[in-house]
Amino acid sequence: MSLLEVTDLSVVYEPKGAEPTYAVKDVSFALERGEFVGLVGESGSGKSTLGFAVTRLSKPPARISHGRIVVGGRDIAGLADEELRRQRQGGFAMVLQSGMNALNPVRTVRHHFFDIFAAHGHVDRRRREARARELVAKVELPDLVLDRYPGELSGGMRQRVSIALALSLEPQLMVFDEPTTALDVLVQHAVMRTIRDLQREEGFTALLISHDLGVVLESTSRVMVMHDGAIVEDGTSQQILHAPEHPYTQMLLSHYADPRAEVVELPGLAVRGGTISTASTRSDDAGQDGAVAPAARPSAVRAGAHRSAAREPVVVDHVSKVYPAPRRGQARVVAVDDVSFRLEPGQSMALVGQSGSGKSTIAKLVTGVERPTSGTVHVGDVRVDTLRRRGLRDLRRQVQMVFQDPYSALNPLHSVEYTLTRPVVNFSDLRGRDARRRVLDLLDLVGLSPVEQFAAKLPHQLSGGQRQRVVIARALACDPQVLIADEPVSMLDVSLRAGVLALLEDLRVQLGMSMLYITHDLLSARVVTDRIMVLHDGRVVEAGETAQVLRFPADPYTVALLDAVPQPGRAGDAA
Amino acid sequence: MNPTPAPAPASTAAVPDHAPSGPAPLWRTAVRGLATIWAVPKARLGLVILAVFLLTALFAPLLAPYGATDNSFGRNEAASAAHWLGTTAAGEDVLSQVIFGSRISVVVGFVAGALATAVAVLVGLSWGYARGFLADVANFVVNLFLVIPSLPLMIVIATYLQNSGLAMISIVIAITGWAWGARVLRSQTQSLRSRDFVTAAQFSGEGSWRIVFREILPNMTSLITGSYFGAATAAILAESGLSFLGIGDTSVVSWGSMLFWAQNSNALLTGQWLLLLAPGLCIALLATSLTLINFGVDGLSNPRLREGKGR
Repeated sequence: MSLLEVTDLSVVYEPKGAEPTYAVKDVSFALERGEFVGLVGESGSGKSTLGFAVTRLSKPPARISHGRIVVGGRDIAGLADEELRRQRQGGFAMVLQSGMNALNPVRTVRHHFFDIFAAHGHVDRRRREARARELVAKVELPDLVLDRYPGELSGGMRQRVSIALALSLEPQLMVFDEPTTALDVLVQHAVMRTIRDLQREEGFTALLISHDLGVVLESTSRVMVMHDGAIVEDGTSQQILHAPEHPYTQMLLSHYADPRAEVVELPGLAVRGGTISTASTRSDDAGQDGAVAPAARPSAVRAGAHRSAAREPVVVDHVSKVYPAPRRGQARVVAVDDVSFRLEPGQSMALVGQSGSGKSTIAKLVTGVERPTSGTVHVGDVRVDTLRRRGLRDLRRQVQMVFQDPYSALNPLHSVEYTLTRPVVNFSDLRGRDARRRVLDLLDLVGLSPVEQFAAKLPHQLSGGQRQRVVIARALACDPQVLIADEPVSMLDVSLRAGVLALLEDLRVQLGMSMLYITHDLLSARVVTDRIMVLHDGRVVEAGETAQVLRFPADPYTVALLDAVPQPGRAGDAA
Repeated sequence: MNPTPAPAPASTAAVPDHAPSGPAPLWRTAVRGLATIWAVPKARLGLVILAVFLLTALFAPLLAPYGATDNSFGRNEAASAAHWLGTTAAGEDVLSQVIFGSRISVVVGFVAGALATAVAVLVGLSWGYARGFLADVANFVVNLFLVIPSLPLMIVIATYLQNSGLAMISIVIAITGWAWGARVLRSQTQSLRSRDFVTAAQFSGEGSWRIVFREILPNMTSLITGSYFGAATAAILAESGLSFLGIGDTSVVSWGSMLFWAQNSNALLTGQWLLLLAPGLCIALLATSLTLINFGVDGLSNPRLREGKGR
């Protein structure tokens, strides 16, 4: 008998004063004991809703409209709260994406364990301490952690603690909902390994929910692919990897590649060996967010044409940035340590490293948002690090920025047109009709057509990919010479990333801009940049041509970063 | 998971041919805001009570059986068919006084509340956005106003400004009542200013004032409305308090001055408890209605603040 059997499960969202929407539609599947199954889908596919439903954690306005969830021979779909609570011990547990924020900040980790033991009474009072020690050891943490408050632990450690807490109920079924998404690349890799090892040793059944097919294929033996509330493909990892049947699965898989390969190709992005070249056809890249990136358009040429200033390099010379100690007694934070580089006009360069490596600080120094502690930054003849308010405003004509999170980079209350009109009015003489025409040209340039309709929309009416296009359009409004892109695609779904990257790369070549591309994602760095700098603890550990550095990495840190890139092809390792 | 319903989109059809489309017209925003507040049962009750007081104040001459200062009746009369709430020691009709008195409380409440909120918005937003020396100065001034007990300060200012009329009372209340709102708005400004869209506005070449008032301010509608109703409540109570203490013009009929005269004439000892109860109850009810409305204000701009959608 299967451990978990889900039959015709539907979950409906019934918000007040809005149309109900079915997030999960008539889904059926079964999990066998000891299986490690992945559930993959992009945002909005209903995968998390399904995960919450099978653990009965759905909250209003979500409601299980019909279907059966049978755990160990018992239908839990309609169980009352108290019965459900008792069922949680030895039944099912869930680890959340924000699990590290799920800990109570004013109680020690030990308290968290003891609370659970007390609530279920399944551990003898005298054995509780020993059991807590045992559990933290399982997630590879030292005993000392028990005395700590959540705020004293790193994100990865907190996520490990929440896994241990879920384990403390000795569940037969563990649901991991994006357990590593909020963590740093290298930490992500380590936590996933712990989860894999645990599952093998403890033998619980695990359901891993993730948007990242690469991560899932690496760890699980069976994968379910979810799209629009339905499971479109269900097969062993090998099948999914080598012979995906559903076009959606095939599309997802096509977005993975090894950055170390000699030739790297992503949908819509050209082959980029050692030489620069752009794709000739860009028809399919943006189909997902309902927009089509234009091939070279007259408007683009016109936009670029009315600025003929000499293109000048960005020169960063022996720059350091030291922040004062966060608390008394702690050391000062050296965010950037003696970094020098030169970004030639028209060149694109990647800055890679994990969080805290100083890559975003460098972006702030180049844009004049922060001043370096020592060293100089020049954009052409302008010395950025001494600029005052007026000078900074002029600098923005030349150096613009694309932000990481398209959801917070647009003011939710302003229409797209307002957002784009402001830089046009501030940085050019265009007014009224002319300004509006320029705004529509910009929308056209980033492939948001029909332009009139998009101009009138508010941010919440746009998808993530469309928002990021608006953010890019805003950055281009004043014809900058240098574009700083800070993780421009990390918040987007895998299938949208290639489209936005292709757009950036296209525009860069068309408009002759140089780009500083900041990322932790080596694969995307490989396809859009010529040169790369690998940063670790504020220092440059490796620099050179992108293809060269990634194919033949010299520094162990670069190698570690490369190893952390999810590889569907490594699926065999886990089995 | 954040399945908050998105705010109803304003009509997306027909865009004017030129000129950037600004936010929706003010009246439409106001109507939508009112509908949001109306949707909360507690706030609905508050709105109804407030509406009753507003109508009473507006149509006082029609509703009141006699003039407010008409002292041609018997003194200290108990409630009767002719005088529902009895008469005062000076021989005025208590019901008529209560009805006319609502005008003062409502006007002072809303005017002083508006003044206090305006100061709070100006100070709070620029304080939250500024950094360095100016922020420190603002911090000092606001803290100063917060630690000085406001009633004594009001009394001092009001006595100093002799023959204080309604306008003066409103100003005094505004001066002593803005600090709390400023502090709340400042924290929200600080949290909003670190959002990417503010940095993005800087990159778009926007000046500081425009960022504060076009980018940040509209995202705080519910806080500002809330702090307005809070300030109005405080103003109504403060006005009554001042009048009760006999500060200000005691010849003007307001709920506060009614209490003052009732106290002076030992109304409780003469068994005329209605003289104290009627205006007291009205003050309490009006203040309660505003507090109830504040329950509904939370929904005004919060769904939009939580714009980032869950994965």
